[in-house]
Amino acid sequence: MSVGINRYKCDLRELQFVLLEQFSYAGLAGKAPYENWGEDELKAVLSETYRFAREVLGPLNSVGDREGVKMVNGAAVTPKGFREAWKGLYEGGFKQLAVPSKFGGQAAPEMLHVAVEEILSGANIAFNIYPGLAWGVGELLAECGTPAQIDAYVEKVFNGKWGGTMCLTEPHAGSDVGAVKTRAVKQADGRYKIQGTKIFISGGDHDMTENIIHLVLARVEGAPAGTKGISLFIVPKLKVNADGSSGESNDVALAAIEHKMGLNGSATCTLSFGENNNCYGELVGTAENIGMSQMFRMMNGARIAVGLQGLSLASSAYLNALEYARDRKQGPHFSKFKDPNAPRVAIIEHPDVRRMLLELKSTTEGIRALVVKLAMHRDYAIATKGKDDEKAAYHQGQVDLLTPLVKSYAGDEAYRLCGQAIQVYGGAGYLKDWPVEQYARDAKIFSIYEGTSHIQAMDLVGRKLGQHGGANFQAFMNDINVFVEAQRAHPAFGKEAEMLGRAAEAVTQLAMAMLGWSQAEKMDLLVLNANRFLTMMSQLSVGWLLLDAGVKAQAASIRLTKGNQESSFYEGKVASALWYARNVVAGIRAQADMAALEDDSAEKISDAAFGGS
Amino acid sequence: MLFPMKILVTAKRVEDPESKIKVKPDGTGIVPEGLKYKINPFDEIAVEEALRLVAKHKGETVVVSIGGKEVHEQLRHAMAMGVDRAVWVNHTGPLDQMAIAGLLKKVCEKEKPDMAILGKQSIDDDQNQVGQYMAEWLGWGQATFASKHESLDSDAEKSKTPALVVGADGKTVKVVREVDGGLGTVECTLPAVVTTDLRLNQPRYAPLPGIMKAKSKPIEELTPAGLGVDVAPKLTVLKMSAPAPRKAGIKVPDVATLMQKLKTEAKVI
Ligand SMILES: Cc1cc2nc3c(=O)[nH]c(=O)nc-3n(C[C@H](O)[C@H](O)[C@H](O)COP(=O)(O)OP(=O)(O)OC[C@H]3O[C@@H](n4cnc5c(N)ncnc54)[C@H](O)[C@@H]3O)c2cc1C
Repeated sequence: MSVGINRYKCDLRELQFVLLEQFSYAGLAGKAPYENWGEDELKAVLSETYRFAREVLGPLNSVGDREGVKMVNGAAVTPKGFREAWKGLYEGGFKQLAVPSKFGGQAAPEMLHVAVEEILSGANIAFNIYPGLAWGVGELLAECGTPAQIDAYVEKVFNGKWGGTMCLTEPHAGSDVGAVKTRAVKQADGRYKIQGTKIFISGGDHDMTENIIHLVLARVEGAPAGTKGISLFIVPKLKVNADGSSGESNDVALAAIEHKMGLNGSATCTLSFGENNNCYGELVGTAENIGMSQMFRMMNGARIAVGLQGLSLASSAYLNALEYARDRKQGPHFSKFKDPNAPRVAIIEHPDVRRMLLELKSTTEGIRALVVKLAMHRDYAIATKGKDDEKAAYHQGQVDLLTPLVKSYAGDEAYRLCGQAIQVYGGAGYLKDWPVEQYARDAKIFSIYEGTSHIQAMDLVGRKLGQHGGANFQAFMNDINVFVEAQRAHPAFGKEAEMLGRAAEAVTQLAMAMLGWSQAEKMDLLVLNANRFLTMMSQLSVGWLLLDAGVKAQAASIRLTKGNQESSFYEGKVASALWYARNVVAGIRAQADMAALEDDSAEKISDAAFGGS
Repeated sequence: MLFPMKILVTAKRVEDPESKIKVKPDGTGIVPEGLKYKINPFDEIAVEEALRLVAKHKGETVVVSIGGKEVHEQLRHAMAMGVDRAVWVNHTGPLDQMAIAGLLKKVCEKEKPDMAILGKQSIDDDQNQVGQYMAEWLGWGQATFASKHESLDSDAEKSKTPALVVGADGKTVKVVREVDGGLGTVECTLPAVVTTDLRLNQPRYAPLPGIMKAKSKPIEELTPAGLGVDVAPKLTVLKMSAPAPRKAGIKVPDVATLMQKLKTEAKVI
């Protein structure tokens, strides 16, 4: 089956460090509700997933990119090998890992789930989007569906029998979801007739499952304007018979498949609902006009998934660039640049290449720590729910606060870092012979879908900062301060901890300034600085978590003999922490200073002054 | 009618060939720090074949591993793939091939399987002896280097058809085996020892639900003393050394020089 070759790389030692040593998985494992999940299981699952990723998904990554998805007789045909991979994915139970046991899954902790998803995404992002959406449909219906809907759909989309999609976007309704026009007309039997066009629908059609369950945002006749009048519908590709089997066509037509910059193995579809007035949907749950908040349950998970996608590609780009840099010989070492007979060195010996590699290493590691931290809060929010309300609220608050950071920072950085990985290769990286050019093309979408980076930034400054009277943000800042206080005198990281403290002050200062702007009706400044604030807060989080990892790694390395594999690993963690603190965290203050200039030239400049024609 | 089969398989713990293996400077062994371990790939093929046979014939699979507590990882892996239960021969310290074969013989006498399937060798020492000793000492037939006619891309392989064919009376097994220059077939009376070659099958992934199930499958502990086997090594490793690193290549100006160098320097023609 494997026509291509695998290029995906992941460092399982690093994953284990983050899960087991940095975020002490042990504190969670073996206790309710994760009784069955010990450290051994975690290790076995990671190594088996990595094997599946390398042997099955990885070899199909470039195949999917070159072949793309074809439209044949009105249906999408996925690249060669995707159908078998789908089968293998579900037979191996990789996608059911975190599914609740009542739906046939393994109910694993979220911490492990994100690590497994990183591996699946990294090996073949275009492929992994299809089952990812099916998963999201299962999660949403499990929470918002009626008992009958849960019975009819949830297990089937969780176990890969059926696919799934989320249908929000329409030609005139992208970022502005409230503008959707797709109509839903209630029928005497309680069903709704659906009519409208959705664009850019990932996995909108494919040949890996017998049926696809579309979750469609639409407007019921007479509903209020904007997001308050949007309802969510279950619209299967094939009507579902009373016995649960898939029946006749439900009048959902594949109108087109987009040709894209990347993600070519993933079908991005235009879907036409009810062209023949024969498309039926059922309302999710029992109430109309709450579609947006229902969809958000899927969106939050999907936003974290996008962050993971970014992390997974950037990380594999790093490990590939690293391997290349160790192999490629070019030029003498800079200390001998005048000597024409100096030996040629591997490019990893050039300081600027080392700088690029260390930036790739530390940034991806820091983002991974941020993703796992978010997942850990999710696990604890679930574990403490109903037992300790205060703790549960704290953990859920951190999940809410960190979600836009993970989505945007990981999403934006992925594209930049993949570009940097190409830079490490030089000309070779630009060629299709190596995986990094595809990574860069695939990665650009992460700052766009599931809400653009600016939409995330506005979610952060407009909603999340002030959530619960600002309590989530305060708790976050408090955690950082506790760390700074504890490490201020640390012999290796003291200075950097101080730097982190100052960066935290700068972030708080900008948060206060933004509050001031919004009270002083200077909304333009708030909006103009939102992305900057999101970046600063992300860098602060990543810098903090890298230092935390550095402190732990250094402590663990003391007993080891220098130079062996383990001690080199810990040495690398220390280097990541120091590099990021001195080269990124150190710049956070400067960004706050820029914001304090209250520059509104982008707002003031007239349209005509932008030039062009 | 198909007769149920009881099959015993082995799961040796070996260094993962993907980790960097270094020899200790004093040549007494390899540096264990930071190494990853896995189940011997040939044993994994044995496990796969046993699972296919039992899926077809019904019956039971038992996996054996010899070593310290750490071999539980390999036993669990085999059970995650689907093996029913495990036998752990608890022993730390060096073992030679005869000691291993002796221990496995005793386990076979205790378990009385219809077939023992082993890897033809393990990728750490590459000795290729245990199956043969064991069959001889048990007085069983042996079919080494089991392989098959179909390729690993064939439909038979995709549908997980076992390559070993058990006779209709459940008393014999027919084994296609790799021999110099091709394939040969042998038929053995059961019980028999079969050792696996690389192209016998493509082992399955341990499905994640299987990993969880493996937790609750039993591991029975035995010891060399309890089995009455003297495991004192008859074979001593004197020194280990890494292969000499490859020398840098050279460019030769023309074919004549190449021929000359091959003759006089490399002495290969
Ligand atoms: C490969 C791919 C897969 C996709 N998959 C799906 C899917 O499965 N389901 C689905 O429903 N959709 C999907 N989408 C659609 C995606 O979510 C939208 O493209 C995205 O939400 C942005 O909408 P838009 O493209 O209409 O851009 P626009 O909304 O037109 O945005 C253009 C620019 O304007 C900015 N902007 C827009 N509004 C504002 C505002 N109010 N304030 C400030 N700036 C603003 C944006 O940030 C952006 O920079 C997919 C898109 C692609 C390319």
